[in-house]
Amino acid sequence: MSYFFQLVVSGIVVGSIYALSGLGFVLIYKSSRVLNIAHGQIIAIGAFITYALTVWVGLPIYVSFPMSMIITFFLAMSVERVFLRRLIGEPIISVIMVTIGLMSILDGLIYLTPFGTENFSFPPFLPTTPIAIGGVSISWTQMLGVTVTFSLIAGFSWFFKKSTIGISMRAVSDDQLASMSIGISVPRVFGLAWAMAGLSAAAAGGIIGNITGLNFDTLQAFGIVVFPVVILGGLDSILGAVVAGIIMGLIQQFASGYLDGNWGLNGTGEVLPYIILLVILLFKPHGLFGIHEIERV
Amino acid sequence: MSANRWLATGNYFTSYREEQRIFFTSLDKTAMLLFILALFAWPLFFHVGNKYMLVVDNILVAVIAVMGLNLVTGFAGLISIGHAAFVGIGAYTIASFASVLGANHILLTHAWPLMIFIAGCMGALFGALVGLPALRLKHLYLAIATLSFQMIFQWVINFMNFFNQGQTISIDRVVWFTGQVSRREHYLFWYYAILVVIVITGFAVRNLLRTRYGRCLVAVRDNDRAADAMGMHPGLTKVYAFGLAGFLAGVAGALHAFLYRGVGIESFTLHHSINYLAMAIVGGLGTLNGSFWGPFVIQVLDLQVERLSEWAGAHLTFAANLATALKPLSFGLVIVLFLMFEPRGIANWWRITRSYVKLWPFRY
Amino acid sequence: MKKNNLIKLTLLLVAAFMLSLPVQALAGKVYKLGLSLAITGPTSDAGHPYSQGVDDYFKFVNDTKMLGDDTIDCTIRDDQYKTDKTKQNFEDFLDQGIVFYLNYSTGSTLALKKDFEEEKMPVIPASFHAGNLIDSHYIFLPIASYSAQAIGLAEYVVKNHKGKTPKVAMFIHPSAFGRGPVEDLQKAVAAGLDMEIVEVVEHGKNLDNTAMLKRLVNKGVQYVISQTVQSPVATMLKDATSLGLKANSFGEEGKLTFLGCHYTGGNDLVALAGPAAENFYWTTSYIITNEPSPGATEQLALAKRYNRGEKAANSHNYANGMMVAQVATEVIKRTKAKGKEITKENLYDELQNMNGDNAFFPGTTVGPVTYSKTDHAGVDSLQLYVVKNGAFQSADKPFIPEYTSKIK
Repeated sequence: MSYFFQLVVSGIVVGSIYALSGLGFVLIYKSSRVLNIAHGQIIAIGAFITYALTVWVGLPIYVSFPMSMIITFFLAMSVERVFLRRLIGEPIISVIMVTIGLMSILDGLIYLTPFGTENFSFPPFLPTTPIAIGGVSISWTQMLGVTVTFSLIAGFSWFFKKSTIGISMRAVSDDQLASMSIGISVPRVFGLAWAMAGLSAAAAGGIIGNITGLNFDTLQAFGIVVFPVVILGGLDSILGAVVAGIIMGLIQQFASGYLDGNWGLNGTGEVLPYIILLVILLFKPHGLFGIHEIERV
Repeated sequence: MSANRWLATGNYFTSYREEQRIFFTSLDKTAMLLFILALFAWPLFFHVGNKYMLVVDNILVAVIAVMGLNLVTGFAGLISIGHAAFVGIGAYTIASFASVLGANHILLTHAWPLMIFIAGCMGALFGALVGLPALRLKHLYLAIATLSFQMIFQWVINFMNFFNQGQTISIDRVVWFTGQVSRREHYLFWYYAILVVIVITGFAVRNLLRTRYGRCLVAVRDNDRAADAMGMHPGLTKVYAFGLAGFLAGVAGALHAFLYRGVGIESFTLHHSINYLAMAIVGGLGTLNGSFWGPFVIQVLDLQVERLSEWAGAHLTFAANLATALKPLSFGLVIVLFLMFEPRGIANWWRITRSYVKLWPFRY
Repeated sequence: MKKNNLIKLTLLLVAAFMLSLPVQALAGKVYKLGLSLAITGPTSDAGHPYSQGVDDYFKFVNDTKMLGDDTIDCTIRDDQYKTDKTKQNFEDFLDQGIVFYLNYSTGSTLALKKDFEEEKMPVIPASFHAGNLIDSHYIFLPIASYSAQAIGLAEYVVKNHKGKTPKVAMFIHPSAFGRGPVEDLQKAVAAGLDMEIVEVVEHGKNLDNTAMLKRLVNKGVQYVISQTVQSPVATMLKDATSLGLKANSFGEEGKLTFLGCHYTGGNDLVALAGPAAENFYWTTSYIITNEPSPGATEQLALAKRYNRGEKAANSHNYANGMMVAQVATEVIKRTKAKGKEITKENLYDELQNMNGDNAFFPGTTVGPVTYSKTDHAGVDSLQLYVVKNGAFQSADKPFIPEYTSKIK
């Protein structure tokens, strides 16, 4: 039984990290309807900046982590300004392709630094003995991940519900034309959405980097890994990202806990999300919490 | 009909039939014929090394695949981020025959044109299957559906023993009238084979676009509700667009398999799908000649950047990292610059050049 | 206006490309070699130092006139781990008239095997996959195959395990590279190696291996032999540490002891896993720079001479690349000494003579490089290293796995 509970706990932990990685995706899509394929690269950059500040500059990690979030915040904002501002109103394919181009460019820039081909890891700053409750254990790193995820998500939810800018962002995502007519600067909202996505990506990068170590290949893969999560949750729903993240985490843990190693199966946790993704796309394309704007022709 | 059958300086069409002709003037037709002839003849006069012949072959295979992608993404407006998987389906059809019958079975060595056709059909079948969600999905969601197909394809190949778990399944050299194609003439032989396929498919696609079946693709892209009102079935049209794209991709995959004499999963990954999309964009979406420009430009750029980075690596010691970074950087920059400054791709430059030449010495 | 500028810029760039043809000063003969590997893209963390090792050593050969007036010109190309690109590079090298070829990934080595046969081109890949040698006459592994490494680790487990038959799991990369040694290890068990392979796990991009680790422990597994790259191993080690499942000494009861083949270890693993890497057992045929030896001195001096960073200098993949270059140079030197022409045929013959009294001691490996008509695996001896206090150190004397010959 404790095996089962362990799987549940790990599933939730992994799921919340998925949610955090998917959050940036949702933020961008929600406001500007852009699918950001380069998200994985931004996650990686966030992690690298945290590392550079901690080890090369020598800041304590609780300073460098928020600082890298802020730097990535402005970085993502300028990315939007340079690459995407010109493409407002272009067909979807152009916008997808520009993020693909962006991915390649960021790859190139990362290869300019040692991070492209070398491996690093954060200096340990958390106790290594895990928290154990009744046979179920969870590491401090994971605990930190969960905490950061939920506080960030709570922060964003509050921001969208209560603050003026948040409300104007929601207005833009609802109807751009109408919000322009009441004096909201739509481009600025887009920029802000990217910036916030950058911020959450840096947080995700820091946490994933702490779990897997800093390897560019591993980190950037998370851009693709979160696809099924955000689709399951609905591309434009923050709550959806959280719930779907946790569902996905649980499914993966259960798949590798109960399916792998039996009946000659292996690596099911890898592909199951994509199978679920296809099924969801067929039967519930807007996900669990996405806004239905379906038109059938 | 213009008075002059060789040159037309304006639009003299009096019927739709005339406007839909492949060649407007005799000059067009002659130029095209000469161009095709030149394509067939140049290897007789210039000898290029195996590497460049392989690059040329590669470009041609990509041309076929991108033609397919252009049909589904350019003409029918359905974004496909899984095109390499369709190409892979074609290649793995050949590989399956090879692993079931043996790599030197007569079907593979002698009846390879038939095999290429079968691979195309398999591609079409899977294309239509993956296109099924298009009945319900649009835009982004469809793009993601194709992406998930790509992922599932990779997983299946990677884990199934039948497909050698993604390792290379080798295929024997084919036999032609002159006997088995030797290593020396392999790439040249396939250059001609692929060229023939391209000429056939190129004209087929051009013709298709003149018929109602081609025009309905464009109609559904531009406004599916209007197309519905006109009596087309948008859903079926989309599935059929995917099927067509799948066919061309499958053919490209089969040619790839024969050209490289082996099939391995590394040639059909998400990265390649993205590459095909980039080629289509740079060439010009929704144009037939864009399918030719795109692969050509991207691959030539790749070669030149390689040369440049080699030079930089050798002469500028401080730039060691720069040399490795140049490739992704230039690839990304090309995509972004094209999207920003010339979203209609190189095909548009071609169009401008043509109309300039046609009107010369006059200007608008 | 904008468009005009763009076109001008393009023309300028094209002109720049044209001028970029390499210019060479010729003195003596030039022997062309080729290396195609992943400097960017997947596995570039191994490929990058590898390419530096090869590059530096050949520069060193030319700078110190090791071959007299003759020089080695080794073209190094990035293939981004793509087989198609590797093939293109190989064809290019052939057009340039190379006499020796260095390859990298398992996938491309297997895919190009037939081409190597047809071209009769001696090849040393960076992949130690035992399957490379099947149906092949021209591929030479630099060191013992992954299979031999896995069997070596398994033998160590059997020898040092206390109690009943040890239960072992394998943690492998989902590719040809990872699956290579599985079958051979199973064969070794069938041939009498007293252990039980409970499960073979193919990992994905897991953030959490809790499920797997707990499952393995429940099944009574005590040893995990991994054949993959560093990053997944690092995640697994961290998880095992945080779950308290990692053994603090070899074979601790109820805990897991982790072992791995060449590409799982090295300083990169310590860099990625941090303190969780403690007690990880790793086998390879290369020396490490943590422990003083003539080879280590040579390696560090070479890296210093060509201004490589600390990381590259101490990387076992730098040693790997350097050693391959050493072998290539040595074989050219020997062929030259015999007064024969440097052709791929002669180099091939000379490589196969590299045994007995002719064995080659590059210094960067723990044993001599030996090739013969029947033996295409270079260094047969392996060294076992273990992480203690955040650095790898030798755990035993170099050894040669016994079961590799028994399963043939």
